Amino acid sequence: MLRLAIAVCVLATFALAQDFKFIIGSPVASQDFQFKSAAFVFRTEGCADPAKSQIGATAEGIVKGTRRSIALKVMASAKPGVYAVVQTWPAEGDWLVSLRGTCADANAGAIVPIRGTGFVRESSKFFSRPATDSEIDAALKALAQGDHK
Amino acid sequence: MVDLSEPLRQPANQIGAEIVAACRSGDRDAFRALYDFYKGRVYSVALYFFHGDQAAAGDVTQQVFLKLMTGIGQFRGDSLFSTWLYRLVVNACMDAARLRKSDATVSGRSWLESVAGPDSQERDYLRAQTATSVRAAVAALPPKFRIAVLLRYFEDLSYEEMAKALHCSMGTVASRLSRGHRILAEKLRGL
Amino acid sequence: MFTRHVSRQLAAHIDGELSPQKAGNAARHIAQCADCRAEREQVKYGMDALDQLAPVAPPDAIWMSIEAALRRPESSVREWRLAFAASAILILSGAAYWAVTHRPGVRWEVLRTGGAPVVNQKRIVRGGSRIGAGEWIETDSESRARLQVGEIGSVEVGPNTRLRVVAARPGEHRLALARGEIRAKISAPPRLFFVDTGSGTAVDLGCEYTLVADDGGNDLLRVSKGWVSFQWKGLESLVPAGASCRTRPGVGPGIPYFEDAPERLKQALEIFGFEKAGDEALRTILTEARVRDTLTLWHLLWRVDVEDRARIYDRIASLTPVPAGVSREQALKLDRGTLSRWKDELAWTW
Repeated sequence: MLRLAIAVCVLATFALAQDFKFIIGSPVASQDFQFKSAAFVFRTEGCADPAKSQIGATAEGIVKGTRRSIALKVMASAKPGVYAVVQTWPAEGDWLVSLRGTCADANAGAIVPIRGTGFVRESSKFFSRPATDSEIDAALKALAQGDHK
Repeated sequence: MVDLSEPLRQPANQIGAEIVAACRSGDRDAFRALYDFYKGRVYSVALYFFHGDQAAAGDVTQQVFLKLMTGIGQFRGDSLFSTWLYRLVVNACMDAARLRKSDATVSGRSWLESVAGPDSQERDYLRAQTATSVRAAVAALPPKFRIAVLLRYFEDLSYEEMAKALHCSMGTVASRLSRGHRILAEKLRGL
Repeated sequence: MFTRHVSRQLAAHIDGELSPQKAGNAARHIAQCADCRAEREQVKYGMDALDQLAPVAPPDAIWMSIEAALRRPESSVREWRLAFAASAILILSGAAYWAVTHRPGVRWEVLRTGGAPVVNQKRIVRGGSRIGAGEWIETDSESRARLQVGEIGSVEVGPNTRLRVVAARPGEHRLALARGEIRAKISAPPRLFFVDTGSGTAVDLGCEYTLVADDGGNDLLRVSKGWVSFQWKGLESLVPAGASCRTRPGVGPGIPYFEDAPERLKQALEIFGFEKAGDEALRTILTEARVRDTLTLWHLLWRVDVEDRARIYDRIASLTPVPAGVSREQALKLDRGTLSRWKDELAWTW
């Protein structure tokens, strides 16, 4: 009986960890006019206490053949769990944003390619952990080749 | 003559009684000290009340301090000096607002910090835009909410002091601040 | 038990100005009342927003003028006060007279950016001019202008355009577009910038957009950043970045659609939205709609009868999960709270 209870708890924790994720959207989704110029907004899901989650983002890019990485400041909305990414990377080159987050013991990650007119939802990828360097490189290569909508 | 080199020990929003007493006896240096103590707060309230109109804010500031200094002989000290001062500020702002009902703001940006140029970081630009937007939202509040919000923010007056400055009850102060801040949030949040 | 709503006391509660008993009562009520909790969060948001306001020191000239007045001999203080009072009365009376007999004095800057635009009936061939409420900007095929809208943004005025400044006040920056094209870039809280056209009013909610009006009053609103609400007699269309919306006089705002929506959807929308030619067009819209086109479908809910509304509801539900708290029954009744919650969730797909 005890083993069954422990197994249930482990499965439940595992399920909760799987539920923590990012949802991305256009600035209109934030309902916060201060974000109207943001590249995109995002929210976390599956985190019992969003105020205690740790969120980070980097802009990863290739500019004239040189690989670059810029730490980003994620802007928090007054609404818990809703954030904005404002473009502080150069207009030149191909760029994507790598999001990573932790909530208790759960992790989440996302790769969000950026195009001049905004983010590319269809090419965005989501993970239950931060994206790996090879995943980021692959996404950048696809961007550079124009392999996105 | 009051020794103005001594640091004041009063709370930050209250000038010392000895300065007020010196002003009542016509001490010009004390007048200057009084002006220097309150000038930023009075001017800031007026400037944001009139959405950046330096001329209007200057007029209100001048009017308030002239009335203060010419009428200080009548100040009996039975209420806080600042209460009297802010009552003058409220009256001056509301009177001017009534006259300017269909007028308003300056065009141009002479008093605002300059918005970041195209070479600056997008984040700094966003911050500057946000500040501009908050100022505009404050200026768009109905005058009675606007003056209450600005008094509370810049002067950190208690509700009791605000009630005296605004000629109303503490309940009305609470109600105006609740409503004023809520309107601000609605304006700033959009949808 | 303290059960009445505490809206009027929220600021006092946050500021710690309530007595211990009232504070306790309010806290207990807020813990149980979602509406008051939401309002408290609004009040707190408004308070925090004020951190953007920095104190400003007055110019030295103000003290100099006060000092000059105070420097007069003591014996003339009473005379000065009488003179001041008399002057003040005269000045205030004059100002009141002027305010009544003259247009509001705010004038926005207009820069010539091409050709020779006409501002308030004067042709501008160099530099710029200023324009006030009630005055017009007119451009021909060769000319363009940039209008600085107070402190909240700018409007690019395209060729062959007639544009009037309706109001220039802190709480209302309003233009009227008679014909032509403007591109607005606004940075202000929502509902401070408006553009009236023959078929409705574009209400800025923080954005950049293009508005084109033809001589017949038909408009096309295209939003590139932020979002715009287009309103007319109770009808409203919310147009986010990447979307457009057509309007017609006497009909008001059409249904917004994304620029990258399937062509067949856009054509069917044109037929359905204005000509009300029904079933075939609606079927096409529903068939062609992608997840993102729930923008269009959500707006359609308000414009159709119950039977068609059910078809639209079902199509949206097949494209993206319906959130908790949005019931089919309430949505079909056009319950505002229900549809607002649904829109909040759908916006994450737009």
